[in-house]
Amino acid sequence: MSASKLAQSEYVTLVSGDGFEFVIPRSTACVSGTIRRMLEPSSRFSEAVTGRCVLENISGIVLEKVCEYFCYNEKNKNQTYVPDMDIPPELCLELLMAADYLDT
Amino acid sequence: MALRARQKIRAPRRGLTVTKTDDFETNWKDLSSSLKKIHTKDASNLSFEQLYRNSYNIVLMMRGEELYEQITLLEREWLEEEVQKRVTAAISPSLLLATHVDVQDQANERREAGERFLAVLKEAWEDHQLCMGMITDVLMYMDRVMSTDHRKPSIYVVVMALFRDHVLRSPIRPDTQTTVYDVLESTVLFMIQLERSGHIIDRALIRHCIYMLEGLYETITEEESSKLYLTVFEPAFLEASRKFYQAEGRRLLETGDAATFCKSATERLSEETERCIDTLSSLTEAKIKDVLDNELIKNNIAEVVKLEGTGARNMLDNDRIDNLRSVYVLSARVDSKKTPLTTAVQRRIVEMGKEINASAIAAAAPSSAGKKPEAGEKKPSEKEKPVNQQTVAAIKWVDDILGLKQKFDNIWQNAFHGDQVMQSAITSSFSEFINLSQGAADSRSSEYLSLFFDENLKKGIKGKTDSEVDTLLDNGITLLRYIKDKDMFEAYYKKHLSRRLLMKRSVSMDAERQMISKMKMEVGNQFTQRLEAMFKDMTISEDLTSSYKEHVRQSSDPDQKRVELDINVLTSTMWPMEIMSNVRSEDVQLSCIFPKEIESVKQSFEQFYLGKHNGRKLSWQASMGTADIRATFQRSNGKTQRHELNVSTYAMIILLLFNDIPAGESLTYTEIQAQTRIPDHDLIRNLQSLAVAPKTRVLKKDPMSKDVKPTDKFFFNHDFQSPFMKVRIGVVSGSANKVENQDQRKETEKKMSEERGASIEAAIVRIMKQRKTLIHSQLMNEVLTQLSARFVPDVNMIKKRIESLIDREYLERVEEDPPTYGYVA
Repeated sequence: MSASKLAQSEYVTLVSGDGFEFVIPRSTACVSGTIRRMLEPSSRFSEAVTGRCVLENISGIVLEKVCEYFCYNEKNKNQTYVPDMDIPPELCLELLMAADYLDT
Repeated sequence: MALRARQKIRAPRRGLTVTKTDDFETNWKDLSSSLKKIHTKDASNLSFEQLYRNSYNIVLMMRGEELYEQITLLEREWLEEEVQKRVTAAISPSLLLATHVDVQDQANERREAGERFLAVLKEAWEDHQLCMGMITDVLMYMDRVMSTDHRKPSIYVVVMALFRDHVLRSPIRPDTQTTVYDVLESTVLFMIQLERSGHIIDRALIRHCIYMLEGLYETITEEESSKLYLTVFEPAFLEASRKFYQAEGRRLLETGDAATFCKSATERLSEETERCIDTLSSLTEAKIKDVLDNELIKNNIAEVVKLEGTGARNMLDNDRIDNLRSVYVLSARVDSKKTPLTTAVQRRIVEMGKEINASAIAAAAPSSAGKKPEAGEKKPSEKEKPVNQQTVAAIKWVDDILGLKQKFDNIWQNAFHGDQVMQSAITSSFSEFINLSQGAADSRSSEYLSLFFDENLKKGIKGKTDSEVDTLLDNGITLLRYIKDKDMFEAYYKKHLSRRLLMKRSVSMDAERQMISKMKMEVGNQFTQRLEAMFKDMTISEDLTSSYKEHVRQSSDPDQKRVELDINVLTSTMWPMEIMSNVRSEDVQLSCIFPKEIESVKQSFEQFYLGKHNGRKLSWQASMGTADIRATFQRSNGKTQRHELNVSTYAMIILLLFNDIPAGESLTYTEIQAQTRIPDHDLIRNLQSLAVAPKTRVLKKDPMSKDVKPTDKFFFNHDFQSPFMKVRIGVVSGSANKVENQDQRKETEKKMSEERGASIEAAIVRIMKQRKTLIHSQLMNEVLTQLSARFVPDVNMIKKRIESLIDREYLERVEEDPPTYGYVA
């Protein structure tokens, strides 16, 4: 009952491996294929029920950047001239791995 | 960017992920137990992320392939152990009975069992689909790597194929060949069969099973065309339907009612459409309709149309528009030409047309016998004459045909949706029977039609509104369209028109003009040229008359008793002269002697006219004229009575003779003829109308008999009685337009063929002048096309004309093989 309510809630919580929590709009999070499937209401996985995704192998600092990207993507979708996103070089590799993992 | 590039890129920190994840076995154990939980619908405690991370880790360990195999194995076991058993358990023995069970309670039992089975199968399928969806999601990372690196199909496809092989295609019992799919197919077909015979079935359930078949493919590549539905089920369904509709067609034909057949066929069509939408797949709609078209309609429609008593003929006769429409719609489905229907309609039209033709002949035949007062003409002078039945028959013929045409137009419009093919079929049938030669004589349609116009323009349109007149004329024109020998029609029309114009019998000149312009639109300029010239002559003559009157008033002739003259000067080439002068007496006819009063007027007009137009010759056609004379009758009791007599010119001449003789004296026929030189034929007719016709007996004849003999004596009848001041004395059988007798017809035909000969020659010369040389067959073709608008030329006639042109050295033979002609300038 409460699950269905949560499933429809507009925001989801992403939790990093080291415990940081990010609350972002559901549609934004669904840029990631993995998260989208995770939240698929018909599958009834615990993530879909609670609206809380614990991403064990992503650190808070990377997840922050990922969330930033989600918002950036949401904001700029369907536009042609898009400003570059600022990516700190030291995070590059980890971001790439996260992207691979999240199917973004 | 350059600055940044120099910064050091550190290796990813793995500290967080290294715990307890290195081992394939641990990961797999976690994963497989979770997958089982998914199967048992116990997924809400599972974390997607965890499972996902498990498969992710395994793939990262480069053991993705192993995982793939394991999963496949796991699923196969699951399907074989659990799902297949559950499904086969739901198959009750009644489902395995022979498919053609017709006994009602068995059917019911079977149906219930079938529904149970379908429900289980549907549930199994839906579960499988859902679980596989979840599992595929979890294994997405593996899928991605496997399909890109190892070119393996997605795990989803693989497990679907597993379902196909290990559930649907598994035998229901180890010892039989029958598979679950076979049972499914026969069950679904059985349900459809039930529905076709009027039962209500659970459409949604079947629809779901069909979804399953649509979701499964023969091959791993999943092409659209390899859907199980298309490869296995649909052919079976179509085959079953084919058999069903063959039987259905036979059954419906046996009931022997065309209307029922069409109704059921139409219903079946919409039923099948609905079935495709609600129960099966819309992909099948076109195919099942093909089956219906072929089995139910195409094979039977000809029979249906021909059905005795209820077929197309009956529908046409009784104006069963609705039934005809359904026949038409069905026919149109299978055959764009609708051959059976078209032939039936055509045959019926020709039959009905022949009936009309026959009844026209029958009505025309006893022309002397019948005396039908109600059909009699209204003119007092003509009342006593027997109705000219032939004329009435002719007009009835046209009316009947128009009625028929109306009927079929209505059918065409309402039942055949204004179909082009049908229209041309109807048109050709009409023209077929209208041009059908009747017995020995050529078709009389042209004459009849012209008479119809004549009748209507003379009295028919009196008191009708413009639009009514318009439709009336249009109807006539429609018939004209069907007549092939338009020149024949033109000849008759000209003749009838000239009578109307000269005797001022036309009710409305507007209508006449309208008629001409309609004909012009329909048949072309050339056709109406001469008719228009006739009108022009009439107008010019009117002007001429008035200017002549003016001339007379101005000229100082003080003669008070001058005869007033209305004159029509006609161009002899445009008018059918044969109706005015008696063509049969070929010898030179002396013009009749006019009385002196008239003669002076005649000369004065000739002077006037020739003074205006040089080099013209006027010939007087007394036979076409009329005169108003005032006659004084001295009654024996001393009173005098005056009447105004409207008579023909000849009658006027005859009557004037009696002015010059003393009262009581008589003139013999020969004397009258000698003094007037009126041609025998006309003289007899005029004397008959003056002395024999009971109401207009201005002359007395001795002896009183019907025939006029040369020795007969004529007296002026002073006891002439008439209730009217003005008396119109028509000429016996001369002034009215009516059907020709045999001689006249021969005459007309002879003239017609002469005229055609001339037209053919003209056409040949025209063509040859242009082409210089031409092969015989080509020349024939061109002549035929050029003339077809006016009449259908006889091939032999064309050949004769070519011969005669060669004889007269207009053409020459250039070559013998192929026969070729050249134009001689």
